[in-house]
Amino acid sequence: MTVQSSSLRRFFRGSQVGLFVVIGLLILLFVIGVSVSDRFATSRNILNVYEQSTGLALVSLGQTLAILTGGIDLSVGSIISLSSMLTSGLINGNPSMVLPVIAGVLLIGIVIGAINGGIITVTGVHPLIVTLGTGAILQGITLLYGLGPTGKVPRGFDYFAYGRLPAGFSVGATFALVVFLLAAFLLRNTRTGRHIYAVGDDPHAATLMGLPTRRVIMLVYILSGFFASLTAIYLVSRFGVGQPYTGANYTLSSITPVVVGGTMLAGGRGGVLGTLLGVYLVSLLNNLLNFLDVSTHFQLVAQGLVIIAAVSLYVEKRRIA
Amino acid sequence: MTMAKANQAAPVPRASLTARAPDFVRSYGIFIFLIAAIVVTFAISPAFLSGANVSNMLMQLAPLGIVVIGQTFVVLVRGLDLSVASVMATAAVIATSFGGQNSDAALIFLACIGMGAATGLANGLLVTKRNVSPFLATLAMMIVLQGLRFAATQGAPSGNIPSLFRQLGSATLSGMPYNLLVMIVVAILFGILLHRSAFGRRVYITGGNPVTARLVGIAADRVTILCYVICGSLAALAGLILSGFVGVVDNFVGRGFELDSIVAAVMGGVALSGGRGSIAGALAGATILVVLSNAVVMVGMPVQLQIIVKGLVIIIAASLYVRPARA
Repeated sequence: MTVQSSSLRRFFRGSQVGLFVVIGLLILLFVIGVSVSDRFATSRNILNVYEQSTGLALVSLGQTLAILTGGIDLSVGSIISLSSMLTSGLINGNPSMVLPVIAGVLLIGIVIGAINGGIITVTGVHPLIVTLGTGAILQGITLLYGLGPTGKVPRGFDYFAYGRLPAGFSVGATFALVVFLLAAFLLRNTRTGRHIYAVGDDPHAATLMGLPTRRVIMLVYILSGFFASLTAIYLVSRFGVGQPYTGANYTLSSITPVVVGGTMLAGGRGGVLGTLLGVYLVSLLNNLLNFLDVSTHFQLVAQGLVIIAAVSLYVEKRRIA
Repeated sequence: MTMAKANQAAPVPRASLTARAPDFVRSYGIFIFLIAAIVVTFAISPAFLSGANVSNMLMQLAPLGIVVIGQTFVVLVRGLDLSVASVMATAAVIATSFGGQNSDAALIFLACIGMGAATGLANGLLVTKRNVSPFLATLAMMIVLQGLRFAATQGAPSGNIPSLFRQLGSATLSGMPYNLLVMIVVAILFGILLHRSAFGRRVYITGGNPVTARLVGIAADRVTILCYVICGSLAALAGLILSGFVGVVDNFVGRGFELDSIVAAVMGGVALSGGRGSIAGALAGATILVVLSNAVVMVGMPVQLQIIVKGLVIIIAASLYVRPARA
């Protein structure tokens, strides 16, 4: 019980710090935006920022869970690329194939995640190396399937990416928001949720306490694979076709919102709400830089500086062996 | 990062001892695997060991080998450096931003090494003074450098590389690439530094057990920062040589080297948990990567299988190293 209550304390401490930093940065960006352009604070622009956050939000959610256990999932980019190719390649314009293919692709994400988790728990190799390896294998398989954009999707498939609910809220972004809130609730209020924190906090202690460490690790990589495949379906909905490198940038960019949101790479501290705000921060930053008419080249510099600024504010717990 | 956790499984004093008195499999397994890979590929495709193909592989090995040597220093102190590829590309852009005359060569060389060292210094300071995880610190520097490079070149770098660097990167001395000679010199110099000097012993102690390091009066922070500076400087050197090999400069010279160099070091027995590994092992890891990529093509498999094979080898090799550490 002591492990659980201490990890709970850390959870609140950690996530509060994270939330304050991100909220502070969000307000700062907003103020700058308002002073730069009249069009910035319009509901139209803000809804735009919201819509554009969808893909990053979905993939970062799974990444957050992997990082909370002290791991990392560097295969998400390849899972996205493979899933996007399979989605449009297998549907190939046939409306009756849409539902079976979506179910199949999500299942593939789950299976890949289970393979990641299985290798990690069985061999004891660091998740960084394991997922780097499976990521390379999956990218190779993707390129064996097709070297260019493959297949097509029927009319209406773009509803997930471009559909709007009443008041103009994006369908995809709202779906992501609901999933995040649900995940935050489950992390706080279920036994498995607390186990994720305990395993990340100290896997040794968690095992000694009798927690199902291996099962928890399997679970987070399965969820990470599932959300990567879901991101792929969103991207196919948005671009209309799957592409063999469409996920490549997501591997590293899915980590930015997680760490900016206050989740520690060492595991055990942070939470998904910080990540959600981190996603909105990245989305708002890119939007603001467009308004500032900054060359796209400097957008990268700004992203790097935001990461440095944010992580310098948090202090990773020192692990003394 | 969580690498410290993996280390908890292996008692630390033993880990630093195994670096000196290693068991047979762990220290020679990589070399046996390398020889086996060469023999099997040769049996399937004799052209694999033709003079031209060997020369070609050695030329590809040199830049990767130089980066791997630097990466080894960083991994030994429980870090990793994701910014090496970005440093390489930046060095390539610097090399073309002068007139392209051989008289500028010394200036270019100093500017590149200075840039690499400065990047390493920034990485090291973030890791030691701000306690940022190496993954994030070097990831952020990678992105910042990439952005600065794009901004400086407006996305389309141009200009010429002095012919001296072209020679160094792509010419051979009766089949022996010049760039490999550079790698050998670097390997010997830094091998002496790591395996025969007081600084090298401090690197192993700092990575093996930071607490001990502090107790015996080692300035662990300074050792760590120096390791990042070495890594950044060597990456810049490798970028210069690779740009001489490629001949044309784009913004992504060296793409993929950050992961390949980490993979090579891990395959060569450099433990991500720090304090264990050698430059010879890391270079053997780099050689395996080059040989396998080449072998896939030589035995007539589709090119896409290159990365599949690479991924499989990473996981298999890494799992072989973890097992003995647990026992």
